[in-house]
Amino acid sequence: MNVTINQEGNKYHVVLDGRIDTTNANQFQQDLTPLMEAANADIEIDCSAMEYTSSQGLRIFLMLQKSVMAHSGKMVLCKLQPQVKEVFDITGFSNIIKII
Amino acid sequence: MRISRSFSARLSTNILLITSLLFISSILVVSYYSHKLIGEEATKNASNVLNSATLDINKTLGKVENSVTNMEWIVKEHLTDSSYLYHIVSELVKTNDEIVGSAVAFRSDFYAGKRLYAPYAYEDGEGAIQTKNIGVDKYDYYRMEWFTVAYETKKPHWSEPYFDEGGGQIVMATYSFPLLDEKGEVFAVLTADISLDWLNEKMNAMHPYEHSMTIVLGRDGTYVSHYEKERILNQKIFDFAREVGNPRINKLGEKMVSGDSGTYQMRHGDDIAFAVYGPLGNGWSAAIISLYKDVFAHIMRLNLIITIVSASGLFLLFILCFKTIQKLTQPITEFSVAALNMAKGNFQARLPQIKTQDEMLQLHDSFEYMQKSLTHYITELRTSTAQNERFESELNIARDIQLSMVPTNFPTSDNCSIFATLRPAKEVGGDLYDYIIKDDVLYFAIGDVSGKGVPAALFMSVTKAAFHFIVNLGFPINQVVTKINDSLSESNDKNMFVTFFAGKIDLKTGEMEYCNGGHNPLVLCHPDGRAEFMQAKPNLAMGVFPGFEYEAEQVRLEKGSRILLYTDGVTEAEDVSQNQFGEDRLLQFSQTIGKDEKCQEIVDRLIDEVKSFTKDAVQNDDITIMTIKLI
Repeated sequence: MNVTINQEGNKYHVVLDGRIDTTNANQFQQDLTPLMEAANADIEIDCSAMEYTSSQGLRIFLMLQKSVMAHSGKMVLCKLQPQVKEVFDITGFSNIIKII
Repeated sequence: MRISRSFSARLSTNILLITSLLFISSILVVSYYSHKLIGEEATKNASNVLNSATLDINKTLGKVENSVTNMEWIVKEHLTDSSYLYHIVSELVKTNDEIVGSAVAFRSDFYAGKRLYAPYAYEDGEGAIQTKNIGVDKYDYYRMEWFTVAYETKKPHWSEPYFDEGGGQIVMATYSFPLLDEKGEVFAVLTADISLDWLNEKMNAMHPYEHSMTIVLGRDGTYVSHYEKERILNQKIFDFAREVGNPRINKLGEKMVSGDSGTYQMRHGDDIAFAVYGPLGNGWSAAIISLYKDVFAHIMRLNLIITIVSASGLFLLFILCFKTIQKLTQPITEFSVAALNMAKGNFQARLPQIKTQDEMLQLHDSFEYMQKSLTHYITELRTSTAQNERFESELNIARDIQLSMVPTNFPTSDNCSIFATLRPAKEVGGDLYDYIIKDDVLYFAIGDVSGKGVPAALFMSVTKAAFHFIVNLGFPINQVVTKINDSLSESNDKNMFVTFFAGKIDLKTGEMEYCNGGHNPLVLCHPDGRAEFMQAKPNLAMGVFPGFEYEAEQVRLEKGSRILLYTDGVTEAEDVSQNQFGEDRLLQFSQTIGKDEKCQEIVDRLIDEVKSFTKDAVQNDDITIMTIKLI
């Protein structure tokens, strides 16, 4: 799992590459820590290269969403692969996380 | 410990080899140069001896020549007094030790009527001097070399040696001196005979080396003196060379006879001999022949002594090295024993005491440090192993508790049958299922907590307990889910969540009311064998947002229908290549379910199906399957 974060002011462009599963969920959470602490962040996460996420991955997206909201920021996931989009849909996370 | 393999033996042997090599090469070099030097010295020495002897001999010969020459005028003065001539020759013999006989041999008819006339004096066997005229017919000196050569050449002459048959059977040589008249004609020859015994004695007395041999050759190579007396006058050196088949001796003879002087090497039996040779004053030549083995005898002895001393020294050196190195490396042996003991688990193994401030002390300190570290680590390891064992045993207990929290008794009532199973990926897991039958109403639920292990298990038990409790309070199914969600969301700092599906079936009518909390769609198997995913409104996984209003939906199930509920441990089970089992395989499986297949059989078969798909891959998520059939 590779996480690339490009920052311009309060705009964050994040590119995720690979799978999120038990083996790397903790690392993924650490990689996103800067985003969780940023105020007024405007985050766009490019998920086009993300092949799979386990429920641990979902939990981290949920944490990120909650912390972004707490810091008056906004977050959007984009270019999700169908099988990943399906996971967000099934769990209802599509209802609380903006996906385009 | 075998000596041949020990460190000290190997090192000592190496030292011994190198030292021996040095010793041997030194001895060889010294020996080579000393041989060369001593060889040269020996030649010089022998030459000196020979020269001194030659001088001595020449002096004697010169003395004889002078004595004869000095008599010339006396003879000429007394030619008229023939009897006085006897006196003259007697005096010559008397006054010269070397001269044993002397004669004046006159030309034929010098005295009228005397064809031969030669007054002669000689020493007899008793040392008295006798005189006689040797000019008699039976001794015609005109045929004698001593007379003819001097007579014809008009020059003094030393004869070749000869046996004096008339006298004392001794080897003699004669010096002949011609006496000339006013016209320059020879009228008489004055002679002096000398015995060659003194020459032989003088020569044989020369012993520069133990087995030195001396020879004197006449002008034709005849032995005049020889260390083997019987060869004197009886043999020429050239005949001897032929006799022993040694051309080098022949060559030596040629060189000597030609009047050369020098040194010459040749074989002598098994030894190598060298000759120093040079001419004597009368045309003869002398040589001393010495054996190199004599020359080198003492240096050979010296070499032997050096070799013996060196060998003893080397042996002592070896013993000393061996003992010293053994003593120095003794601690290594003890370290090795200590290491072996440590390997067997005795970390208190005694270490050798090191008193030297060297590498051995460093080794000792390192060893000691290693002992302490190992003791420390092993203690830690024991503690943590014990701790792990405790954790493991606690986890096993937790697993039993968790598995006993989900119902494992499945009633076979008249209108439904149920079976479910829960297979955690680890000791404990985050999946759950539950069912309650109350007055022909079946409540059921299946859930999957995010993550695995103990955190998920704790969250699971709370969820399961809440469901059981709230259902029993008689709330509608959407209220049940909403309330559980509120309860879970209240204190959920870790943002755990649980996907949840709860349903309520009126077993008499088949009416099902259900509420989905973000869980996978269940499979609906119709009585005619068709199977499909039943899409339900996802709402939201539980524990995420408090106050979320969950909505319920309704469907009517026909008698003979089945529902198959599962967690994503089934659809997301992966093989070693990370291919997922997937919803398609699940649906295909569902279409193979037989009409009368028992719920437990279906569940077991699905488990087998998943296992045969994942093969050797490790189960990475909890698996829960629940199936309900309406009868």
